[in-house]
Amino acid sequence: MTLVMVVDDDQDLAEMLGIVLTGAGIDVDLVSRGDEVMDVFRNNPPDLVLLDVMLPGLDGVEVCRLIRAESMVPIVMLSAKGDTQDIVAGLEAGADDYMVKPFKHPTELIARIRTRLRRTNADQKGLLTIGDLVIDATAHEVKRGSKAISLTRLEFDLLVALAKEPGRVFTRDSLLSEVWGYRHSTDTRLVNVHVQRLRSKVEHDPESPKIVTTVRGVGYKAGVTEES
Amino acid sequence: MRLQLSPLSQSLAAKVILSTVLLSLGVVWLTGSALYSQLSDGIKEVSLETSLSDARSIFYNARYQFLLVDGQSSEIIKAGVDEIIATSISVGIIESSRELILIKIFSREEIESKVLKPDYSYSSNSLLSSAIPKELRDEISDSAVLVHQYAPLTYNDGDVIEALFVGQRVNIPGSGQYEMYLVFSLANQGATLDLVQNSLLLTGIVLLLLIGLITYLVVRQVVRPVRDAARVASLFTQGDFTQRLLVKSSDEIATLGSAFNEMAASIEGQIGRLENLSKVQQRFVSDVSHELRTPLTTLRMASDVIYAQRDEFDPVIARSAELLTAQIDRFEKLLQELLEVSRFDAEVAVLEPTDFELTALVRRCIADLGVNVEAADSQITFDAPHYPVHIRADFRRVERIMRNLISNALDHSDGKPIEIECVETANEVAVSVRDHGEGMEAASLTRVFDRFWRADPSRARTRGGTGLGLSIALEDARLHNGELDAWGALGDGANFVLTLPRIAGNQIVARPLPVNPHRRNV
Repeated sequence: MTLVMVVDDDQDLAEMLGIVLTGAGIDVDLVSRGDEVMDVFRNNPPDLVLLDVMLPGLDGVEVCRLIRAESMVPIVMLSAKGDTQDIVAGLEAGADDYMVKPFKHPTELIARIRTRLRRTNADQKGLLTIGDLVIDATAHEVKRGSKAISLTRLEFDLLVALAKEPGRVFTRDSLLSEVWGYRHSTDTRLVNVHVQRLRSKVEHDPESPKIVTTVRGVGYKAGVTEES
Repeated sequence: MRLQLSPLSQSLAAKVILSTVLLSLGVVWLTGSALYSQLSDGIKEVSLETSLSDARSIFYNARYQFLLVDGQSSEIIKAGVDEIIATSISVGIIESSRELILIKIFSREEIESKVLKPDYSYSSNSLLSSAIPKELRDEISDSAVLVHQYAPLTYNDGDVIEALFVGQRVNIPGSGQYEMYLVFSLANQGATLDLVQNSLLLTGIVLLLLIGLITYLVVRQVVRPVRDAARVASLFTQGDFTQRLLVKSSDEIATLGSAFNEMAASIEGQIGRLENLSKVQQRFVSDVSHELRTPLTTLRMASDVIYAQRDEFDPVIARSAELLTAQIDRFEKLLQELLEVSRFDAEVAVLEPTDFELTALVRRCIADLGVNVEAADSQITFDAPHYPVHIRADFRRVERIMRNLISNALDHSDGKPIEIECVETANEVAVSVRDHGEGMEAASLTRVFDRFWRADPSRARTRGGTGLGLSIALEDARLHNGELDAWGALGDGANFVLTLPRIAGNQIVARPLPVNPHRRNV
């Protein structure tokens, strides 16, 4: 069974999240303090972390950074402030997605969690190439030559989405719907921040990207695959 | 717009210096002229006296000589005349040259008798008798006294000099009456006068320059503190409330300076208090937001769980669950809009422009509000260019404006058609939303963007608008440097026109769509 760790200092909300998630067939581990997260995380690694930004003990953004340092588990940030800097800080610390309280519908939260969980079992099988990288979708590995590159599941999905259709130019909206499972959100920050993070890991020179190239005014596309 | 001003009207120093110099010029001119005329009068008088006494002694000497040779032989007389001529034209002290003209006056008897006596007529430098002014000759023929006149002297070679003519009749024995003229050159006197004039002019110019310089120095003393004050005041206006004037002395300027500083300190204090107040309020709003959002999230989830199972409850509880969910929706929307308004009030609303296509956004807003614009019987018609309209703006805000305008139109359309139109120019884009509902009075137009304002308080809300939508839409438009205009007439519906610069932040120079839909084709 799937296990989701819910980190929120509001007892009632945490309990309510527990009820809703359990109702959807998901196991829940409740944590109320930021500084307790890592212990619980190591003892009982979850499949996904729902992380509030404002936490006692340790700030949510900091917690996110700590988790990311040792795991590629999907992280969805919860924020009570729709302010840009909070969200961008969370995304830059390694969060895959975020949701602003109050959620439009609890079903949206569950859908988002399922998307993140399902994506981890990528439907793509076999080998893909993008630039000088080889993606083994089955083994969930990205290699440059013999050197493996460690990506989060979301970054992996993003790279696979681009690599699957090498000629296609993806708008930010289409990436949002294909990778994040958004129907029509237009938060392009989400795409921009993750493309930047992905580039910092896979590009030789992130300043002049060759793997994930920008198509000005439209979006992104896969870089030209080198003939070898 | 600032008027184009001449440099003169912009600088107090230049104005004061110019007027001082002009006034001084007048004064120097007057004194200089008076001085010059006095000096030249004096010089001329002295020179005249000298020349006249010179002339007197020459004439006296001549008469005396001629008296001595009276009755002598013509050779002796001739020698006497030559000697007189020689002594007469020897130059005196103040002239550069002196001429002598001796003209014989033929007596009537002499002409009638045709017995001519010796003629000793003489003129130095072969001057002609016509060189002598006629009035002087008339005068000399009348009286035996010494006469004089200033007149130009024309030499045979054409040279003209200023000269003093002095004449008297003399009698040369054995020959008769002569007009004897001494011509004194005034060239030296002229040179003296020129020198005086030039010195006066030079003095005047130097004086004026000095006055200008002194005025500049004095004015600078006054103007510099004023300029400093102006500079500090303008920095102050730009928001640097720490600016103060340097007060060094205790004169009037310093009083102005310390008065300004006191004012500045007072304003800085007040602003500081207000800023603090505003910060406290902002923090409060932010805290309230956080504190309200978390329980609202729980509430929301709880009501959703209940709502999802309403079919299993009895009708009263099921309906209550529906109402609960609907009201939580409304509450949530109100909270969101209140927060947005407070962000505008705190001036912390930030524009996040991206490039996007406008007509697709409008279509999506229409679709999101549950209207299928493609359907033949659609209540909404959308008229837009058949090519993409790309703009650079804050997508979220433009979407919110359009959503607000369209849902507002749906609320007030009474089911009648709504026309949405999109046009573009080189610099701006405009979208109009026109409904044909009950419309509103002209008086309402000024209030339609007010918060929580309703055209008709007795009218029930159909879509549960918060009353903040249009107000936020207007703020959103203005954040782009755009405009949102409203038109309406009772019974004729309403029209809202959003005009945005193609690139957010630029100025809009035209309104591609008039707000009054009846002026469309004018």
